[in-house]
Amino acid sequence: MGIAPEAQVETIAPHEARDAGTARTIEKDSLIGKRIAKLDAPDKASGKTRYIHDMNLPGQLHGKILHSTRVHALIKRIDTSKAKALPGVHAVITAEDVPYQRPLGVSKDHMPLKGDRVRSMRDEIAAVAADTPEIAEAALKLIEVEYEDLPPLYNVAEAMKPGAPVLHDQKPDNVAMTFDYSHGDVVQGEAESDVVFEDTFKLHYVTHCCMGVSGVIADFDSAGGLMLYSQTQVPFLHKREFAEILGIDPGRIRIVQPPIGGGFGSKLDIYPFEPIAIFLAKATRRPVKLIFSREQEFRISPTRQPVLLTLRSGAKKDGTLTFRTATTLHDNGAYTSWGATTPFVIMQTISSLYRVPHCKYHTTAVYTNNPYAGSFRGYGNLQATFAVEQHMDKIAEAIGMDPLAFRLKNAQDPGETTGQGMHFKSCGFKDCLRTVAERGDYLRKHAENIANQAKPERYKRGVGMASMLHVGGGAKIYPSDGCGTIVKIDDFAHVTVMTGASEIGQGSETVIAQLVCEELGVPMEAVTVVNNDTDVKPWDVGVHASRTTFIAGNSALGAARKARDKILAVAAKATGYDASALDLRQGTIVMAGTGEAIVPLAKLLRSLHFSEKADLVMTTHYYEPPSEHQDKGFKGDVSAAYAWASQVIEVVVDTDTGIVKMEKVWGAHDVGRVLNRLGIEGQIEGGVVMGQGYALTEELIVEDGVVKNPAFRDYKLVTAPEIPEMDVTFIESMDGEGPRGAKGVGEAPAICIAAATANAIYNATGVRIQTLPYTPENVYRALKGVNR
Amino acid sequence: MTVEHYYAPKHLDEALEVLRAGNATILAGGTDVMPQSESGKTPLRKTLVNIRRIAELTGIRLAKNEVRIGALTTISEMMANDLIRKHFPILAESGDHFASEQIRNAGTLGGNVCNASPAGDTLVPMLALDAVVELAAKPNGSVETHTTPLGSFLVGPGKTRRAQGELLVAIRIPVPPAGQVQRFFKFGTRPALDISAIAIGLAAVKTKGVLSHVRLAYGAVAPAIMRGSKTEAVLEGKRLTPELIEQAAQAAHDEVKPISDVRASDWYRRELMHNIVKRMLIDVHEH
Repeated sequence: MGIAPEAQVETIAPHEARDAGTARTIEKDSLIGKRIAKLDAPDKASGKTRYIHDMNLPGQLHGKILHSTRVHALIKRIDTSKAKALPGVHAVITAEDVPYQRPLGVSKDHMPLKGDRVRSMRDEIAAVAADTPEIAEAALKLIEVEYEDLPPLYNVAEAMKPGAPVLHDQKPDNVAMTFDYSHGDVVQGEAESDVVFEDTFKLHYVTHCCMGVSGVIADFDSAGGLMLYSQTQVPFLHKREFAEILGIDPGRIRIVQPPIGGGFGSKLDIYPFEPIAIFLAKATRRPVKLIFSREQEFRISPTRQPVLLTLRSGAKKDGTLTFRTATTLHDNGAYTSWGATTPFVIMQTISSLYRVPHCKYHTTAVYTNNPYAGSFRGYGNLQATFAVEQHMDKIAEAIGMDPLAFRLKNAQDPGETTGQGMHFKSCGFKDCLRTVAERGDYLRKHAENIANQAKPERYKRGVGMASMLHVGGGAKIYPSDGCGTIVKIDDFAHVTVMTGASEIGQGSETVIAQLVCEELGVPMEAVTVVNNDTDVKPWDVGVHASRTTFIAGNSALGAARKARDKILAVAAKATGYDASALDLRQGTIVMAGTGEAIVPLAKLLRSLHFSEKADLVMTTHYYEPPSEHQDKGFKGDVSAAYAWASQVIEVVVDTDTGIVKMEKVWGAHDVGRVLNRLGIEGQIEGGVVMGQGYALTEELIVEDGVVKNPAFRDYKLVTAPEIPEMDVTFIESMDGEGPRGAKGVGEAPAICIAAATANAIYNATGVRIQTLPYTPENVYRALKGVNR
Repeated sequence: MTVEHYYAPKHLDEALEVLRAGNATILAGGTDVMPQSESGKTPLRKTLVNIRRIAELTGIRLAKNEVRIGALTTISEMMANDLIRKHFPILAESGDHFASEQIRNAGTLGGNVCNASPAGDTLVPMLALDAVVELAAKPNGSVETHTTPLGSFLVGPGKTRRAQGELLVAIRIPVPPAGQVQRFFKFGTRPALDISAIAIGLAAVKTKGVLSHVRLAYGAVAPAIMRGSKTEAVLEGKRLTPELIEQAAQAAHDEVKPISDVRASDWYRRELMHNIVKRMLIDVHEH
């Protein structure tokens, strides 16, 4: 055993290294703010990453689901006998075969397998497990279904009419959910106003378009334990929810998340295909893999919440905002998923992005036979910001103030507590505004473009500005908003960080590793992050609300600091120096003052392990942010920190065709502090492009409950040549609670784009378009004043 | 239906023999056949004939006063060919707007013609350039060929006058007359990987500001690629003036018969026809 001689070393003195002729000094260096390649990048770039689609278990069967071909109908008869008789088919199930199933979703209004009635084109009515996907597909075609059509509800107005067909018996008025919020007195606010505007904004359906389509593999062991290979963003919450749906002990469910090919909020809820795969695995006693086709991904996945938003705002002539009233109407679709709860976020922007003394907000989500909406990066904030920021421009113009000065006059400052109870401990909002205005030469261009509007040129240039407020320190909407971390260090100074936080491509594991390396003075390659197995990792609420860097980062820091303290205590004992005189740098114990190397960390750890009082360095930490639950009126400081951003966009509008070319985006983001510069740049650039798609090109076209463009050919993601030049500045407000000062930023970059584009098109053409998306035809129609 | 027989003949003669038996799907680049069969829109027939190995169907040659383009010429080969670039720059340009690099490397010109999409990217310039298609068959034991103008070959969406047993072997385009100007415009909603909302091809001889031999071809505004004969009539033999240009643009707007689909409404397509024909003619007028 090569290690034996070292194992006997109990004390290590500085002269050892010097005697060996290896004495050296190590300068203090920091990883914070450096450009660090994502840990998963080499495998993803080279095609080595094994997604759930690449996984196959021995003995595995393939599951397929039969979806309804009617938007609203009674199921009179399902005959599966021919499908069952097809060679290679192991199980065909309908609701009758799973009497134990329980409803899923936010309002528990959604049975995985529908028995007697379908309410949308995506409804699941039967499922097959077979030897191959082709056999499963062939079996689906052999299932006979007899429907009796019911009157459909294709829009919110119809669904709210008295006497409209009732979609869910427990909601006789078809209202799925409502929210009411207020502070101050909007009547008084309106009385004090010199100008008042009311406008209605219409926001459309888009969907996430994750490159990795949805899928799951379910596998029971012989003792009844369930292993689920899942793409979920919230594994611990889903253990509990799966247990409820299936009627089993949550402790017997283990969720493993293979690398996830895109989340963006789409995997925050359980969808019927997941319990259905589990039913099939249970029926066949074999592992069952169920993967969507791209067409299914378009037809069956949740959408961003389509919203009809009516905003009434007022201001005094001196530029002081007086009040804001907002009413939103949400097409809930056939079932309730997270989309119905986006008012949580919408109301924050309405009440608190700017200082609004009086505010009132009412929202109604209404059942229809359309696709249903889930959560999607920004969670209602793109919709709210689209309306609020257009009103900011409109009011500024009406009172004759420049749009920047008007915003600065009403922008929040650090230390403020808003009418909704949000407390802005760090707030770089005004810095964001001034920075983008200056870098984009906003005011000069804005005035020049107005002067050019009347000229006969085909191409019109415009600039637009918008800002956003979003949670940046978690969101306390569950009983706990915390995250646990376990750190262990082996005999070779390799660090394993077991974090509760899930990676969905956003780069959290890299930032977590970086924060741990910074504490422990080890290089990035000395760290492995384990983050995908509920039997290994500690609890975490899930990846949502731009929370992971902040919450999981603080948790990892806590565990790493405990490990550091232990290491330095051991080093102090071994060397005789005071722990405070020692430091950890480049995997070595050094003198903090001089940087003189004393002993390699690995050697110190082995001396600890193979001593008489044998021990290992293993630490744990659970971090719970100091935020509050909202009260019944939705008031409270729900996040431990808040993120801010302003963006200026320059567009060129072709008045002959309606094409809007996004030429450049200037962004200033209050991120608290930059941790991984490469990662945050990528996240912001990606978010800008996602916002660009929402503003200009993407639309899930739903006609009479049917998705008409379920393919990338007709659902237009932004392509490389359309991506604008970007100029991003980071405002480092150094949040006191954030890990090393950082705040969350995941959702922020997508939020302002549509709003700023709206203002830019108005600046270019003098035409304000309150309906998205700004496709060439929609813009051309608006310029010509011709409605569809 | 499942494919029961697969042939990959090396000679035209053999291919025509197989086709004579009927019930065959012809495979060249596969960029239309594969997605259409995959989606169930056009199922594969019992016999699948891969014509990709037939050397007689390749090559681009100048013969007499025309350029003969073998049916298997890929979009990429067509774009890079000197004869095409010299005589038919708008055909080469249309390739630039054709799907993606990968699809251009596989998709063939013959396939683009036989797929007969109302929005077929190369069809618009070829129709404006008076292309004819050369068809071969083997009805009585020997190979027979005949030609037909592209405009009458294309009938409707996915429909041509190709008879059973026939194979499109080449496209022939006359060498343009001296002084010919050519213009091409494809409007999609994005610069790549898009299907036309409208496409316009223009070829005309310009002499001292007067246009003659005017050919206009329109894509995605009718069941098949169409000639803009009414617009041509407005322009033929006339001096280009702002008034004439407006009159021609209006004629283009009026003579197309577009549909509304997920890509564009009929109203918008007509508006685009007007605006783009106008821009094209102003450009011809000024250069």
